[in-house]
Amino acid sequence: MTTSDLSAFISRLDFAWITTFHIIYPPLTIGLAAMLFIAEWRWVATQDPYWYRLCRFFEKLFVVNFGAGVATGVTMEMAFGILYGPFSQAAGPFFGQVLGYETITAFMYEAGFIGLMLFGWGKISRGMHLFATFNVAFASTLSAFWILDANSWMQTPGGVTLKDGVFQISDWAKAILNPDFLYAMPHMVVASIELSLCFVAAVSAWYILGRRHVALFRRALLWSVLTLIVVAPLQIWLGDGLGRVVAHDQPAALAAMEGHYNTLTPTGQPNTGWHVVAWPNAKGDGTVWAITIPHVLSLLETHSWNGTVPGLNDFPKDQRPPVVIPFYAFRAMVAIGGVLFLVALWAAWLAVRGRLSVERIASNRWFLRALIVSGFLPYLAVWTGWWTREIARQPWVVYGLMRTRDGVSHLSAAAAIFWLVGFMLFELMVWGGAWYFFAKVIRRGPDLDSPIPAPGTESLGHLETDPDEDEEAGYFRPV
Amino acid sequence: MNTLTHTQDMLAFAWWIALSVSVLLYIMLDGADLGAGILTLFLGDEDERGAVMAAMAGTWDANETWLVVAGGVLFGTFPFVYGSAFTYLMVPLALVLWGIMTRAVALEFRHLAEPRWRRFSDWAFGLSSLGTTFFGGVAVGAALKGFPMTHPAHGIPTYVGGALRFLSPFSLWTGAAAVLAVMLAGGLFIRARFKRGEPIRDHVARWTDPAFYAALACVAITVGWSALIFPWAAQKWFGPQFWIWGVLLIAALFATARMRRATRDERDLAAILWFNLTVAILGVAMIATMYPWLVPNTWTIYSGASPQVSMITFTLAMAGFFPVMVMYNWYQLWVFRARISKLVSYHD
Repeated sequence: MTTSDLSAFISRLDFAWITTFHIIYPPLTIGLAAMLFIAEWRWVATQDPYWYRLCRFFEKLFVVNFGAGVATGVTMEMAFGILYGPFSQAAGPFFGQVLGYETITAFMYEAGFIGLMLFGWGKISRGMHLFATFNVAFASTLSAFWILDANSWMQTPGGVTLKDGVFQISDWAKAILNPDFLYAMPHMVVASIELSLCFVAAVSAWYILGRRHVALFRRALLWSVLTLIVVAPLQIWLGDGLGRVVAHDQPAALAAMEGHYNTLTPTGQPNTGWHVVAWPNAKGDGTVWAITIPHVLSLLETHSWNGTVPGLNDFPKDQRPPVVIPFYAFRAMVAIGGVLFLVALWAAWLAVRGRLSVERIASNRWFLRALIVSGFLPYLAVWTGWWTREIARQPWVVYGLMRTRDGVSHLSAAAAIFWLVGFMLFELMVWGGAWYFFAKVIRRGPDLDSPIPAPGTESLGHLETDPDEDEEAGYFRPV
Repeated sequence: MNTLTHTQDMLAFAWWIALSVSVLLYIMLDGADLGAGILTLFLGDEDERGAVMAAMAGTWDANETWLVVAGGVLFGTFPFVYGSAFTYLMVPLALVLWGIMTRAVALEFRHLAEPRWRRFSDWAFGLSSLGTTFFGGVAVGAALKGFPMTHPAHGIPTYVGGALRFLSPFSLWTGAAAVLAVMLAGGLFIRARFKRGEPIRDHVARWTDPAFYAALACVAITVGWSALIFPWAAQKWFGPQFWIWGVLLIAALFATARMRRATRDERDLAAILWFNLTVAILGVAMIATMYPWLVPNTWTIYSGASPQVSMITFTLAMAGFFPVMVMYNWYQLWVFRARISKLVSYHD
């Protein structure tokens, strides 16, 4: 490994670290915001105080998560220019433009409403507050739209031509609606919803297991797991669709994800075997050992019994991605998707049997424990999914057009290590803080006593009611 | 290398104005938050520190948004500058980002922290406000000096020159000057945000006088130093159009004098507005001095712009998204405009 290879490799780790420790937060922001909106809407519509209490309680967890997401997210926007300067310059006309839209239509949009949502209770009318919550949910989903668009363009870069070292956009529609995006965007949005459903279900299950606030959290649990019955299979279907896009547009990435080394068997037949588990040999042209099921790979990728799937040996050596991480990360993600579906089925079966009623729900000890574990699994699925996606794209930063080593900044290894160590320290602090405060809010439990803001009593601040401040009635914080 | 059409030149110019406005708004809005954060290092009373944080709790995120917007405009419209300048500024930017991160955590999570941790997190908040300001100032000073780039036959020049090139006496000075200037902004912010009769207001009032003279001296030294080391600045300031800069200087001095009078008369809102007018005049003067450079001697607005700036995207952003966002942000500031007292708790 030469010096520049080493610093390029550490720069990749730098970026891998900050993305890995940022992607923990946005999915919960996206999904939980939508759930908060639904709960608040039910409250406004039915006046049922349970909805209000649930809303306020999960909002506390939302704040912690949102703060951590912003703290780690500002870094992301700067990091492209710092760590991947030449890539940012070349891809800027499309990629930078899309990220610019994200900041304006999503980040800024969200920031305009989040303060109202968190601190506006009782200060603004119920309808206005509901509108603020809706906008937070909508803006965060919009954010996922743009981010996934930028990333999926790196996977299937359509609509551009490379001229003078710059990706010039020849067809905006083709670039924005690139093949990967059409599946990757819904796959990520649904992942966010699934993660948030599991998160809410896990927190609720924990209370019910301890027989605290059973009636309140039964409602949160029931709504979440029953929605999961639709969402979990939907996510598997979207994942399959994305897998086939990868097979079609990024065959080398698919071969790495499946550890598929040889297109043909030694006898010249299509190699249709799908590895359940495997380990690559030292030369990297085959497996040392593997548990393989024939025909499954062809079935998965071509939906036929003996279809040909290009193996890694079809690609020049310098265009093959690494195998181990995409192979195992992909399997972990798929397995989690399956497990969550089984959990949802379990919930459906219990519901049908009438065992999720207020009186009986707490006696399903193992189900509740399984739900608590399921609260952590989607996080692992999001990580492994992104690792699969980003590592299987290598050695390209823009698939087939620009190599990672040409896109990375000219940093010294020392500078790259400085970044890595610093961000490990600070982002672990943020992560630790987030989990510590999650635990604390959850232990403390929901606030069931403070008065529910009645409609029609809201004032804009304390001005109108505070006699000392009469002469200052026109005061507002200036811009 | 300039491949832009005439229309694109005009669009790049318009985006440059938008970028400058975002940066200036960020400095004005978050400057007050950062300065108030630095001042918490000097507050002995835990409730007062908490109240300062509560005073910015509803708006800090929206204020910081302008930094992110500036970054977004830079990446989207001036990607060649973004991809090289940020590599050059890696170390100060990393430190700014760590500061922003620490600050966000200390601010958002304070109400949940145990009392014994609260002391630690308050220190973290004050120090991260200090660090963000200082290294932000260093980054600005370093950017003013420009940086070396590759000279590829085809393709885009990018930064070469190591991670520590940003260090110079001038950039360290601009860092220190930024700290002193935002402390003045923070003092004015605290005075405006707290109810009359709160001890913190009087406490901060004792600070604003020395902070004012220190900030004034900082600006004078920075301008003088710039005139000495930056030929592009000296040529403009002492060239045939010297009277433009003279008028701007007089305007800035006038706004400063009005700010002083408003401070003395306890018209806190007016003081902040006059202060920000001064900042705006100085900022516009600096940006106009740099024109056409975006990064002096390195990138001009036109050489750094994306070859694909287009009327459609510009109109979409400026006529569609931007006004709506500004309206929402304004509404938010309006809702949270009330003065608070020391005992305001963060989440009730």
